[in-house]
Amino acid sequence: MKKIYLIAFFILWVFTYAGAQDFEYGKITGDDVELKNAAFDSNANAVVIREFGTSRIDLNDGVFSVVFMYHVKIKIFNKNGFNHGNIVIPLRIHKEVDDEVQELKATTNNFVNGRLTKTELDKKNTFKEKANKYITLYKFTMPNLQEGSIIEYSYRLNSPGIFNFRTWEFQGNIPKIHSEYEANIPAVYNYNVALRGARKLTSQKSVLFKECFQYGPHKVNCSKMTYIMKDLPALIEEDYMTAASNFRSAVYFELSHYTDMRGLEHNITRNWKDIDKELNDDKSFGAQIKKKELFKDILPQMLNGTTDETSKARAIYAYIQKNIKRNGYIGIYSENTIKTALEKHAGNTADINLALVAALNAAGLNAEALILSTRNNGTVNNLYPVISEFNYVVAKVNIGNTSYLLDATVPLLPFGLLPLHCINGKGRVINQKKPSYWYDIVASQKQTTKYVLTAKLTNEGVLKGKLTTVSGGYSALKKRERINEAGSIDQYVERLDEQMPKIKLANHSIEGLDSLENPLIESYDIEMKIFDNMNNKEFYLNPFFISRTDKNPFNLNDRSYPVDLGAAVDERLTMTIELPDNIVLANEPKNMGLALAEGAGKYQTSTSQSGNNLIFHQVMQLNKPIYSPDEYLSLKEFYSRIIQFQKTDLILKKTN
Amino acid sequence: MFKKHLFLLIFCSCTIIVHAQDMPEYATDRISASLKNRADAVIRNMETTLDMRAPDNMVLNVKKAVTIFNKSGDDRAALSLYYNKSTSIKSIKGLILNSFGQPTGKFSQSNFRDESAVNDFSMFEDARIKHYVPNVIAYPYTIIYEYEIRYKQNLIIPDWYANPYPDVAVEKSTYAFISKPDDQVRIKEYNFKGVPAVVKSDKYITRTWEVTNLNAFRMEPFAPDPNKYLTYIKIAAEQFNYYGYKGNYKNWDELGKWVFDALIKDRQALSPQTVQEIKTLVKGISNDKEKARKIYEYVQKKTRYISIQVGIGGFQPFPATDVQTLSYGDCKALVNYTQSLLKVVDIPSLYCVVYAGDLKKSVDTEFASMDQGNHIILCIPLKNDTTWLECTSQDSPFGYLGSFTDDRTVLACTAEGGKLLKTPSLATASNLLKRKAELKIENTGDVSGQLTTDFSGSQYDNNQRLINEPYAEQLKLLKEEYDIDNIDFADFKLVQKKNEHPVTSESMQLSIQKYAPKTNNLVYLIPNAFNKTRSIPEVRNRTLPVYINRGYTDEDEIVYQLPDGYSITARPPDQEIKSAFGTYSMHISMEGKKLTYKRKMVLNNGTYPADKYEDLTQFFSTISGLDNSKVIFKTN
Repeated sequence: MKKIYLIAFFILWVFTYAGAQDFEYGKITGDDVELKNAAFDSNANAVVIREFGTSRIDLNDGVFSVVFMYHVKIKIFNKNGFNHGNIVIPLRIHKEVDDEVQELKATTNNFVNGRLTKTELDKKNTFKEKANKYITLYKFTMPNLQEGSIIEYSYRLNSPGIFNFRTWEFQGNIPKIHSEYEANIPAVYNYNVALRGARKLTSQKSVLFKECFQYGPHKVNCSKMTYIMKDLPALIEEDYMTAASNFRSAVYFELSHYTDMRGLEHNITRNWKDIDKELNDDKSFGAQIKKKELFKDILPQMLNGTTDETSKARAIYAYIQKNIKRNGYIGIYSENTIKTALEKHAGNTADINLALVAALNAAGLNAEALILSTRNNGTVNNLYPVISEFNYVVAKVNIGNTSYLLDATVPLLPFGLLPLHCINGKGRVINQKKPSYWYDIVASQKQTTKYVLTAKLTNEGVLKGKLTTVSGGYSALKKRERINEAGSIDQYVERLDEQMPKIKLANHSIEGLDSLENPLIESYDIEMKIFDNMNNKEFYLNPFFISRTDKNPFNLNDRSYPVDLGAAVDERLTMTIELPDNIVLANEPKNMGLALAEGAGKYQTSTSQSGNNLIFHQVMQLNKPIYSPDEYLSLKEFYSRIIQFQKTDLILKKTN
Repeated sequence: MFKKHLFLLIFCSCTIIVHAQDMPEYATDRISASLKNRADAVIRNMETTLDMRAPDNMVLNVKKAVTIFNKSGDDRAALSLYYNKSTSIKSIKGLILNSFGQPTGKFSQSNFRDESAVNDFSMFEDARIKHYVPNVIAYPYTIIYEYEIRYKQNLIIPDWYANPYPDVAVEKSTYAFISKPDDQVRIKEYNFKGVPAVVKSDKYITRTWEVTNLNAFRMEPFAPDPNKYLTYIKIAAEQFNYYGYKGNYKNWDELGKWVFDALIKDRQALSPQTVQEIKTLVKGISNDKEKARKIYEYVQKKTRYISIQVGIGGFQPFPATDVQTLSYGDCKALVNYTQSLLKVVDIPSLYCVVYAGDLKKSVDTEFASMDQGNHIILCIPLKNDTTWLECTSQDSPFGYLGSFTDDRTVLACTAEGGKLLKTPSLATASNLLKRKAELKIENTGDVSGQLTTDFSGSQYDNNQRLINEPYAEQLKLLKEEYDIDNIDFADFKLVQKKNEHPVTSESMQLSIQKYAPKTNNLVYLIPNAFNKTRSIPEVRNRTLPVYINRGYTDEDEIVYQLPDGYSITARPPDQEIKSAFGTYSMHISMEGKKLTYKRKMVLNNGTYPADKYEDLTQFFSTISGLDNSKVIFKTN
């Protein structure tokens, strides 16, 4: 019997390695030398001709590790592609054994005067830089780089643990002609495999090997999976885009369960029920939320005499917001325990927001933790739970039929509003008693600004009056942050005034700076010269000196990814200008009405005269937080029309 | 580049912290109102002591108490200490006090984050940082701390700044420098009023500088180099020790010689093959300048810039042979390599230390010290035709120094000694942008036509980021250069003439949809489509002189071909503005169906009294208004 197995193994081995295999190191073909960027993507400064990676699990002296081998061949077309000859390999620092690079080979191939020359990297020109307590950077730069160089390097990277099975990114910031990944996984391990991005696999193979892995006393089978993608364009980041990882073609592996050497099966992540239990039992998560007793003594101080549920929740939110500062790290797990966070007045996101959940519960409110993935971390998949996709936690408090999402890590954020970086699809609510569930995270407020100008045009051509600006939602947050940065209201106003040399501001008043739930109201006496010469018969008045759109934020000719504004925008302007007695509107002004399809946005103006008063209204709304690439050109046109319209003037004339 | 941050040492620090007891002297209500004005923080007391025990053993001790008033001030409570192979942090400890001066917390070295301090542009540097940010939630609070740093060298003695941050006021700060009686040191005080207290004993001389009641100040736009008005002290020791090198210098002459002899001289050997290759390269060329040009082009083609700072504090270049094999190097390595190649054909050249950056900064001609540069360039003293080379650029024309290194005093390090030289200055009139466009306006308001622009002088590299980019990418970047709604380009060309007076020429076909919109029977055209000056912020109670670092001249001429039946109904009057800061003119003329718009703006470099700032604001504001002015046509 044994013999037969051996033969079967041998045959399989031959078969698979003939099918998918690393390419030969150092072999430069005529095609490689001839390759031009125009043939592929004329925008590329460099291209990956071929890359191959393979991962397998290794067991050495009872220690598991993932062994990753990487091999790549890159053609550098021009000087601007030289930075692809600077290689940085991040290595994680673990408790016992750190990631390690071995068997590094790197060669620069130049084809000069019909002759191929090779320059090898000297190991003494490699550097290790400990970036922080978690990461070391392994760095080198390719020697003798020229325009047209073909660089090639390969290395082996050992990482301890079986959780760190390598993700493979097919798509990079330069195009790739051939990208191939081979994952060798012993049958005792089960990974959930997820493919992301828009590109399709060119080929995918899975082959079983018998008894290929010595696992304690047993030999177990392995499966080898090979993924290939060809002719991949570069992934270019655009403005107003969420995480590039949402769009980059890549294959991800998440350990779901494994069998240990005694034959016992361990679930790592299989369904939400497991995860719920795991999180609720975790000493850095559920156990923290349970620590209600921490708040027993300070609760009266926190509640500050409030009695109804909403007021209590607001009071607790304000207390945590003020008393624990973020330390710059984010995560769903408490870094220092909420007890320490309360004492030291500092913690990571989880320290702060889990403390908030615990405090709310301690006050008898119904609060849960909501885990999510931030915008630059990408969206989470809905198919099966992958806990490592989540990187942020906030509180969800349910009062009557209303739920509020709370993040106490941002000092000036009003109750019930999440920072924009959290507005990213769905989150999962983790409840201590009930099963977890998905929850749509939407911005509870827009970016709203309302300008009201009431002014008088003097006979000297000077506009004098009062400007009131009411900011709400994210606009108010931005303003409050700006005022805070300026040091004081006076310095903020001074700066504002100085930035507008044509407009003089005086007698400012700012309301609602500290009551975060209310809009921020600024009012100023303003004065600006709009006409140098009042002797003309006709005057051209451009009413768009407040809230003007000068530049089109969407000026490109096409768009590959959705435009993500985070929150809807609502901007309104009302102007009432009292004209001198002898000046009136010369003709019926043309008004503007623009709308994007399906109520996605609108722009409207109206102008009228009532007695001596010239009345002008403008409304600009973008009602969706996310616009699809198909809508890009409509958005561009929308802005374009606004810009064109704002170039036109109202015509005034003298009546005598 | 050198590791500048090590030397601009960020002074933070404290008072002897013995026990955590109340310190009512640091209660915040004791701070005078004038110190609070504009301040996010006030240094209550700071004692900086630098003890030069031996050339290879300097100890810096800093004690500091600083009160923080608001969130912006938190950065001033943070402590960032750099260290490397020759600089080690010996101790750090600190206390946090509330506004009454009562201790609420303490910290030590274990609370610090340890991180790499490698610059973004560097492949590698031997530099690390320890960083601490206190978490205090109630303002104001006071942080007091003390730390000690040991230097195994005395070639670079950190400068002492009395108030390096504008938003920090200083109640009291002292700097004590301790040396042995027979140590020879040179000291220069910058913007310091008063005299240091000197205490002599058999074993030590202690010099102490003290400042009190310095108010916070504003960073003002168009201000001179902060070193022109900040109070700081530079000290240089005659006998020095640096990474095992011993030497002495009193002036630039001796320092330049030491740099050459100790750090460069032995790094210039080349292999016989290279020597032969270079000789072959210039064969048949008799003129030295042409030979040098050929060699410079060879270096540009062969090498690329990679910053790696290791050993000798980042002052010693890699050997020329390394650059020959690796084809890369940092500024020192590439200059040293080019110099070595030039030597092969007997062309002498000079290794020059410069403080590079857009803000012109010269070395102090009267005070020699090692820390006054951050970059190296090469000078070829050809007869009556001194030529300068930027060796880190693969595109720079031969003999062209751009705004990064022009018009400043640099130190040439040679076998004969150090020499102070001046790099050429790019003058206002030669920093020229010259643009011409012939455009046609359609009845729809669409505009299209041909645009060409020549850039020279300091403006030569305005378009640098487009160079070498693929065509499609260039068109995308152009949309940022000419950020006009709905603009499109075709037939774009970028040509660089790399002669004595280099010029970058750009030409393209462009179209702008609905650039001249129409309502009723009026058409609106902003004739200045491409070159808009922005207004500059006003500054109330300006305190610093007005400084314009670089002058330039822009000339734009656009001819618009109009459709039939257009007549001007409103237009801005022609303008001629003359001011001390420069001139501006705008002319619009209509001839048949042709509207010609001409604009010329000259901004002069120079320094003006503080009270002239208002005029400068006015100058820019007026121009900004005119640049956006409209011509309105009636159509029939």
